[in-house]
Amino acid sequence: MTGDFLAVDRITRSFGGLKAVGGDAGLSFSIGKGAFLGLIGPNGAGKSTVFNLICGVLKPNSGQVILDGTVLSDLTVSEIAARGLGRTFQTPRAFPSLSVLENVLVGADNEGEHVLAALSRRWRARDAELTEKAFDVLARVGLADRAADSVSNLSGGELRMLEVARQLIRDPRILLLDEPTAGVDPNLQRKLSALLAGLHRDGTTMIVVEHNLHFLLEIADRVVVLQSGELLAEGSPGEIKSDARVISAYLGANHAA
Amino acid sequence: MIWAQLLTTVVMFGSVYAVLTLALNLQYARGGMINFGMVAYFAAGAYAYAIVTQAPPEGLDQYLFGFAAPWWAGFLAAGLASLAFAVLTGWPTLRLRGEYLALTTFAFAEVFHSVLLNERRIGNGSVGLSNVERPDVAWTGLDDTIVYAVAALTMMLATAYVFNRILASPYGRVLDAIREDELAAQTVGKKITRIRFEVFLISAIPVGFAGALYAMITTLVSPTLYTAEVTFTVWIALVLGGERTIVGAVLGTMALIFIQESLRVYPFETVRAAQIAASAEEILTGAIFIVMLRWQPFEKLMKKGRPS
Amino acid sequence: MASGGTMTLFAQFLVAGVATGCFLILATIGFSLTRRVEGFLNIAHAQLIGVSAFTTWAVNVLLGWHILAAAAIGIVFTALVGLAIGRLVYEPIRHHGPAVMLISSVGVTYVIGGIVDAAVGTGIRTFDIPLATSYEFFGVRITDYQAMVMALAALSGVSMALFLNKTKIGLAVRAMAANPELAASRGIDVRRTSMATWLLASGLAGLAGVMLGVVATLSTDIAFRQILQVLAVAILAGLGSLYSVILSGLIVGIAMDVSVLWIPAGYRPLIAFALVIVVLLFRPEGLAGRKSS
Repeated sequence: MTGDFLAVDRITRSFGGLKAVGGDAGLSFSIGKGAFLGLIGPNGAGKSTVFNLICGVLKPNSGQVILDGTVLSDLTVSEIAARGLGRTFQTPRAFPSLSVLENVLVGADNEGEHVLAALSRRWRARDAELTEKAFDVLARVGLADRAADSVSNLSGGELRMLEVARQLIRDPRILLLDEPTAGVDPNLQRKLSALLAGLHRDGTTMIVVEHNLHFLLEIADRVVVLQSGELLAEGSPGEIKSDARVISAYLGANHAA
Repeated sequence: MIWAQLLTTVVMFGSVYAVLTLALNLQYARGGMINFGMVAYFAAGAYAYAIVTQAPPEGLDQYLFGFAAPWWAGFLAAGLASLAFAVLTGWPTLRLRGEYLALTTFAFAEVFHSVLLNERRIGNGSVGLSNVERPDVAWTGLDDTIVYAVAALTMMLATAYVFNRILASPYGRVLDAIREDELAAQTVGKKITRIRFEVFLISAIPVGFAGALYAMITTLVSPTLYTAEVTFTVWIALVLGGERTIVGAVLGTMALIFIQESLRVYPFETVRAAQIAASAEEILTGAIFIVMLRWQPFEKLMKKGRPS
Repeated sequence: MASGGTMTLFAQFLVAGVATGCFLILATIGFSLTRRVEGFLNIAHAQLIGVSAFTTWAVNVLLGWHILAAAAIGIVFTALVGLAIGRLVYEPIRHHGPAVMLISSVGVTYVIGGIVDAAVGTGIRTFDIPLATSYEFFGVRITDYQAMVMALAALSGVSMALFLNKTKIGLAVRAMAANPELAASRGIDVRRTSMATWLLASGLAGLAGVMLGVVATLSTDIAFRQILQVLAVAILAGLGSLYSVILSGLIVGIAMDVSVLWIPAGYRPLIAFALVIVVLLFRPEGLAGRKSS
């Protein structure tokens, strides 16, 4: 499925004179609506930087990112997120003083989050709706029974699922997941795999950065391989698995049979 | 009898200051914004009230404006003045973080103080405006101080109620989220600057009203009453009460004002003894402040109480 | 058209401004050093200026010692007080972050201020020193004490530069200022460097306190009033920058004193605050130009 839902167009990004992403021509790749793109590469390839460039944490030095026709360059992180882009982090981020349920709830767009509405009681109905939805989402990530729990009681893997849940309640049009299986036990990984497959079936566009190639190659439509911030290879999982350049780039790394 | 007098005074001034502490609680403990210029919003309210309610200048008066309006008009003007000052100082600064915001708010407050002190045309400079208009409370049949204590208490409780309503709603959740992890909040589309600005403005309005009430109580507005000392007293009150909770903010303020007022009325033998007592109070409150910030005992108590 | 008289007047204020600026440099280097190495804005730094001034006064006037001996005692005492506070109060709360440390320094300000208030009481104090002798160059007056402040500021600047570049501890301080974790991992003794920083910063505040007592009359609130100007200088320099403090101190000092030609004297402190606002809003990294972390 080609066609640009999200297009990364010749972006480059340097830090203090060192080019982290882009090379000479800039980095380009795109993803069609409803597709599942895997983004892989050895350490230091710039995968998280690319994510930061897409979601607005960093601005590209040249080139642009286009989401469904909208150029994202001048938008803030919040504005980009408001256009339907969801993103999780390598180290999961949770809000410590909120419960598990509230961590998810806060992800949703809630009119109670305006001062005047907060003073009246108008937000109650919507909040009740959203709470139901939050429970649904928590169930999907397997955390429904922990809803009232404090975030500090969650394991690393559970925190990751919580972060995913927080994005899911927003019904994002495109979801960027940064190493979702890192530090996650095999049992939870299976759940995650099923969850992502389910999202894929439902039509959510996804880009997943992963080191665990075995996990990724089973569910991704297409894979983009980065090395030193530049595009090394691009293709279906099968093609990438047997690509000599990719294998040598990952020499010693876990490339599954 | 002296105890009743003291308590009334403590309730009166304590409630006025508690409004400021509540505003600071909202801004810092929940909103994550360090405001070192709270006194300026207080002063804006006080001066606005005085200027709006006083008679136009005559004779030796050096100030330029006086509108002789009734007290409730002055009261409203006070809230508006504080709001205006918050818009002016908040809009360019709320993208600043932490210490930078602290310094900017501090500088704005000092600029305001300097202007009040030097610009005779606003408020008679260092002399200030005296005989500030008071509403007629004789009809209640009660002592003036008691009436104002009740008024201040009511204002404080109303402010606490409104703030609590705001914080108990999804707005409070969002505020906590922004304070704890701004980037994560941004990735779910929260508009950080707008929300922070709103919090800043909403919390400034009651501070203006408190300024008006304070002007009514003291019947004098003068720059010497509105120095950084007010700002830091409120900070100490906030930390004393455990920072986080509304109840804590009120209790911390009451405790601090109680200590200060007790020292003021205590019949010391010599002036020097009174000075030393005042210094001791400074040292003690500073020490408690440091201790509270370090060990945060109330936070720990609250964490223990929460079910896990 | 600027007549000879106006030029002389301007030059006079310029000289006064340089003297003020040199005092501000002395008062602010320690503050910036603390910010750079310990990572937070220590509002209580200005209180140390008061500690030094009044300790020196006490030894000089109450004990009757020569001003130089009194000054030495004042400076050393202040350095030790600063060290004690650094280890006892600030060190244990470092992990809470610079915001909490800034707020805590308000508490420290109150404690030190209260102690000084209790010990000294109200009223004005002056050192027991000879009256200032005035010299005239091209119609511009300068006193020996003003010249002393300038000389000391220059000396401090040079000494700091030598210290930071040539001595082992100085290099350690620079490394810590740049990157504490990296410095620690490279084997730099963080504790000792931290102690050295507190001693040095507080000692400089002590020196500033002595000079304050030399050129001005002392009252217990004078210390707190200095923090506003110290902040202005530090911010204009760029928080944490040391060399820019010299330029920044001179700019602020001169701006404050020369401004008297055009605006009422009461607004003199306003220059400092207005500078703070303008710099923070438009160029938070100050003269140094580097975005501080």
